Amino acid sequence: MKLLHTIIIILIILLSGCGRNKENLNEKASVSTLDKLSENPLLLSPITFSINPSKATMSTLYGNKIAFQHAKTKADSSYPEGAVLYEVTWKQKADSLWYGANIPDQIISIEKVQFTRNTVPKYELYGGHPLKKVSSNNQNARIALIISKRIAVTP
Amino acid sequence: MKKGLKIFAILLAAFIALQFWKPEEIEYSIPTKDLHNVPAEVNTILRNSCFDCHSSTVNLAWFDKITPANFIVASHITDGRKALNFSDWDKLEKPKQNATLFYAFNKILSGEMPIKSYAALHPNAKLDDRSISVLKNYLTTIAVRKPNQEVPPAAAKDVEKVILNKKITDYSKVKPTLNNISYIPDFRNWKAVSTSDRFDNGSMRIIYGNEIAVKAIAEHQTNPWPDGTILAKTAWKQKTEVDGTISAGAFIQVEFMIKDAKKYEATKGWGWARWKGNDLKPYGDSANFDQECISCHNPVKNNDYVFTAPLHLDINKFNIYNKTK
Ligand code: HEC
Ligand code: HEC
Repeated sequence: MKLLHTIIIILIILLSGCGRNKENLNEKASVSTLDKLSENPLLLSPITFSINPSKATMSTLYGNKIAFQHAKTKADSSYPEGAVLYEVTWKQKADSLWYGANIPDQIISIEKVQFTRNTVPKYELYGGHPLKKVSSNNQNARIALIISKRIAVTP
Repeated sequence: MKKGLKIFAILLAAFIALQFWKPEEIEYSIPTKDLHNVPAEVNTILRNSCFDCHSSTVNLAWFDKITPANFIVASHITDGRKALNFSDWDKLEKPKQNATLFYAFNKILSGEMPIKSYAALHPNAKLDDRSISVLKNYLTTIAVRKPNQEVPPAAAKDVEKVILNKKITDYSKVKPTLNNISYIPDFRNWKAVSTSDRFDNGSMRIIYGNEIAVKAIAEHQTNPWPDGTILAKTAWKQKTEVDGTISAGAFIQVEFMIKDAKKYEATKGWGWARWKGNDLKPYGDSANFDQECISCHNPVKNNDYVFTAPLHLDINKFNIYNKTK
């Protein structure tokens, strides 16, 4: 009986070990099929990222081609028509592989800023799980903040 | 029975004879001072668990001095000192000392240090939960930013201006690394695989993946990563804004891992490269500087030496969506 237990335990350890070796995706921090978004912002170009230590969140600013091109070449907020920015915000979690790092946990909000012919860009806020459009009560401040962000510099 | 005794006697004689064969003498016991600026409690833990191989003060047990054990011990000590020597502590600058302690702590957490065979024979060197938490609490105090704690907002005049006065225009002039890898200027156009907030040293990183990497992620083929994968990691200084948030400050460095199982067989299937600063100076003093990269990435060897768990960049799903639109 004891022997059987030992064998079973060893088998479980071995099998779970194999499972771990397979792949290592941060599924939880990703956009899921259930989310009500028209495109996957994580597939756009990263412009810069920021951290909010008091909320333990981290955000990446993504842009479509037009927005990214603008961010790369012009250091201003006057994105041209057709530019789309997404500010994706994650809850942070401790990196289990490196004490000293925080990495993305679940997405808590996605904000979309779309530049149209109008002077004021269109703003959408997605929240909840799965992500769906929710209303925002400080839309103007958020737009101002998002478009004020500059590309992280590299030589 | 008599025959058995004879064999035993021969073995014993051989064993005794063996004892005259010793590894080259290493300096065993030059006392190592306590690590300067480090609390006594932390010093004691490191002394007990690590100093035998990582300082010039060695306290060996009697069985460590017996041939052949002494050969193994001697090689551990020589290699260990080469990798990290706490007797040289005072020669390191403060940020390097802190980085060393974070590195050391992560080697303990990953179970690599102290070396398992040594810990099995020297149970006192094993770190118990209390020692781990003593080290962790201490590291929290020396982290450049306290993990998940509010930072005082910067006054508007103190917010650092990040100016890149001279963007490099001709990347072909950037020197290759000593292991012969040329600079890859294109990574800013790649997708973000993940981000990392390094409160230990006050930096922040975007990890980028090239097209092959992104495809591998979409197809769940990341262990091992396919040949042609390139991962790039850019580090910026954390810069505090007036609202207490942190944004990307000055550029520190960019590092690459280039997968080619054959070409880079000797370095775990990856080509390793790093360029530092606004003038993109290649990192490394010799062609095998990449051993340093591999040593630190070793705990994740079962992940093909990659730390980052990529965001799931599923392209297909959204392509389907676009088609039905
Ligand atoms: C029995 C000898 C031994 C003991 C005890 C030991 N180490 Fe090591 N350590 C080594 C050897 C040998 C290496 C280099 C080869 C390797 O990476 O395996 C090494 C490498 C390291 C490295 C990597 C340095 C580099 O750049 O490659 C770190 C960090 C480290 N040890 C930390 C520790 C800490 C912290 C302790 C105590 C908790 C400890 N070691 C105890 C033998 C030892
Ligand atoms: C002291 C430990 C350490 C050393 C030395 C080190 N790395 Fe890393 N590396 C990390 C950690 C931890 C990560 C995970 C991301 C993060 O939090 O910064 C990482 C991530 C990376 C990544 C992104 C892919 C991944 O594995 O997550 C690349 C590329 C990389 N390192 C390249 C290098 C190169 C090239 C060198 C040597 C010149 C090097 N590293 C040396 C600790 C180290």
